[in-house]
Amino acid sequence: MSPETKFTCLRCGHEYVEEYAPDDDVERACPKCRSNSVRPEKVKKKADAAEEK
Amino acid sequence: MMDVGRHPRIELFAYSEVAEVDGYVGNFKVKVRKKARYVREEDCSSCAECAEVCPVAVPDEFQMGLSSRKAIYLPFPQAVPASYIIDMEACLGTNPIACGKCEEVCEKVCIDYDMKDEIVELEVGVIVAATGMDVYDPTELDEYCYTRYDNVITSMEFERLICAGGATEGHFVRPSDHEVPQRIAFIQCVGSRNNAGDKGNAYCSNICCMNTVKDTLLLRDHYPDCECTVFYMDIRSFGKGFEDLYMRSREEGVKYIRGIPGEIREDPATKNLTLTAENTLTGEVVEEEFDLVVLSVGVIPRHDSPTIKKLLTLSTTGDGFYMEAHPKLKPVDTPTRGVYICGCAESPKDVKDSVTQASAAAARAIALLNAGEVKAEAITAAIDPAACTGCGLCAKVCPFNAIEVDKERKTAWVIGAMCMGCGNCGATCNQDAVTMGHFTDAQYYAQMDALIDETAADKIFTFACNWCSYAGADNAGISRLPYPPTARLVRTMCSARVTEDFVLYAFMKGSPIVLVSGCHFADCHYIDANRQTVKRVYRLWDKLEKLGIRPERLQLEWVSAAEGRKFAQVMHAVEELRQQVTAEEIEHTVKVLTEEWEKKLAREAKRKKKAETDESRDEVHVS
Repeated sequence: MSPETKFTCLRCGHEYVEEYAPDDDVERACPKCRSNSVRPEKVKKKADAAEEK
Repeated sequence: MMDVGRHPRIELFAYSEVAEVDGYVGNFKVKVRKKARYVREEDCSSCAECAEVCPVAVPDEFQMGLSSRKAIYLPFPQAVPASYIIDMEACLGTNPIACGKCEEVCEKVCIDYDMKDEIVELEVGVIVAATGMDVYDPTELDEYCYTRYDNVITSMEFERLICAGGATEGHFVRPSDHEVPQRIAFIQCVGSRNNAGDKGNAYCSNICCMNTVKDTLLLRDHYPDCECTVFYMDIRSFGKGFEDLYMRSREEGVKYIRGIPGEIREDPATKNLTLTAENTLTGEVVEEEFDLVVLSVGVIPRHDSPTIKKLLTLSTTGDGFYMEAHPKLKPVDTPTRGVYICGCAESPKDVKDSVTQASAAAARAIALLNAGEVKAEAITAAIDPAACTGCGLCAKVCPFNAIEVDKERKTAWVIGAMCMGCGNCGATCNQDAVTMGHFTDAQYYAQMDALIDETAADKIFTFACNWCSYAGADNAGISRLPYPPTARLVRTMCSARVTEDFVLYAFMKGSPIVLVSGCHFADCHYIDANRQTVKRVYRLWDKLEKLGIRPERLQLEWVSAAEGRKFAQVMHAVEELRQQVTAEEIEHTVKVLTEEWEKKLAREAKRKKKAETDESRDEVHVS
């Protein structure tokens, strides 16, 4: 089972939690506005870590 | 099967599996593993003397475990070739002390305990995947008590019980006491049409309704005294003659109750089952006792379909069945040229539809083979060997495996017959070594320059894939659905063609917002290329954030060709976002990205200079 990750919708700003693994073959959509512009927090964290380095 | 087995131009590999598939349309090289039968099929006459003396009995898979077979067995009565197989996991062994009885009695000396799996290499022009289906296992649906009560059986087990060649030779009895059941309940849609929860499947399995109607008529014919009740959601009896059959079943006295039982209770003494359901037509709660309950289970993709998917470079829909190249115009073609699909490999269907589709697949295959040559796509990728470093990234992301890499010579090349022109490789290549025919980078930049002028701040810059999003925009247009006139569309063959540089360039030229749109995951016309789009957009969001640009300014949407309304809604939503982007933000973005772009150009110039120096050094060395 994939770990749960926080997603942020880049259209409406809604935040929600969903199972996520980088290789998941899942089409994601914001549960509130149905936009596909949903960003997983994990990727954000990675980017932050890289920036800190 | 007999006809196939005897046909002089058909080579049948039974008890075999495909191990490897290489090549492309017209030139496939297939490795087939012929599993060891331990019985020479050319000599075996199916006399069954070996099975008679075999002391091992194991559950018979063909009879759904309702009867047993021996360790040496014929998989099913109509098997072609009609040759026995030894199940080595159950066999006691070759040692005469342990057993060896089958070898002793076989007059034709067919038994060969030392037989090994054999790899057969074939060269074929086209491949048809007709891998069939599995049936849903209702074990996880606890409310039907399939694992708890003996007299709850599946429709597949029912088939084996009522079949003349089945476990009871056609004598229909219930498992608990081997008595003929008088009251039989059928529960429809077990494992199908379940949109809630994580059990079962959301799709309709297509065949179960008519299978139950057929079963009820069979029961009424063989056992006129038995009472049949069908609990259903909807009876889907479309198809030639099917409605007549359904009406005949009702006229024969079969009771149909619209409602699925929520509870099954067993009487421990009689093993009879009481079903409670709400009749949704009358609103009444129905409680009835039955001798036997048959779960009409749905159809699922074969357990090994992911293996075949990988071997043949196929794509699947969300439910796991193989996806066709086009649902209306190419229903038996797949995105991989030269590979066709038919039957339940594509979706659940009955015998008639399977035969129709198989005939279509065969006709498509014949047409292609008879043509003798194939026309390559005009829009294919080409790799510049001088720029290529042989890193292999392009080959890794190619959904059609159309790129070969020579790590030693540090170069890669495209197999023209396999490339379908999605452009994923072009967007992935860090060395700008890939050129997409008719959709070059230079052409895209020229389009962007033309569309993003001094009024860029008032525009929504959109990349739309040819097959879905662009067609979705078209659909919105012909449906007269208004969407903001600020939208500016650039067509790409696939959303995966959109490079990170394209998006950054659009922002650098002053775009307040960029929308990347493509096919839904299940509709991707290039197998799974749009998964790379997602990865690229994720990276871009990170990059924009690092550069102090709001990631919200890059939007991602999946719009299908039929979703004109969605396209219009998306454009309205994105227009709202565009209006929130300030002139200062755009100014900052242009400044930051122009600096980044200059750095990139400097890096590229340096790389090119180095490559030219290396090349001239090589020339001097050669001369």
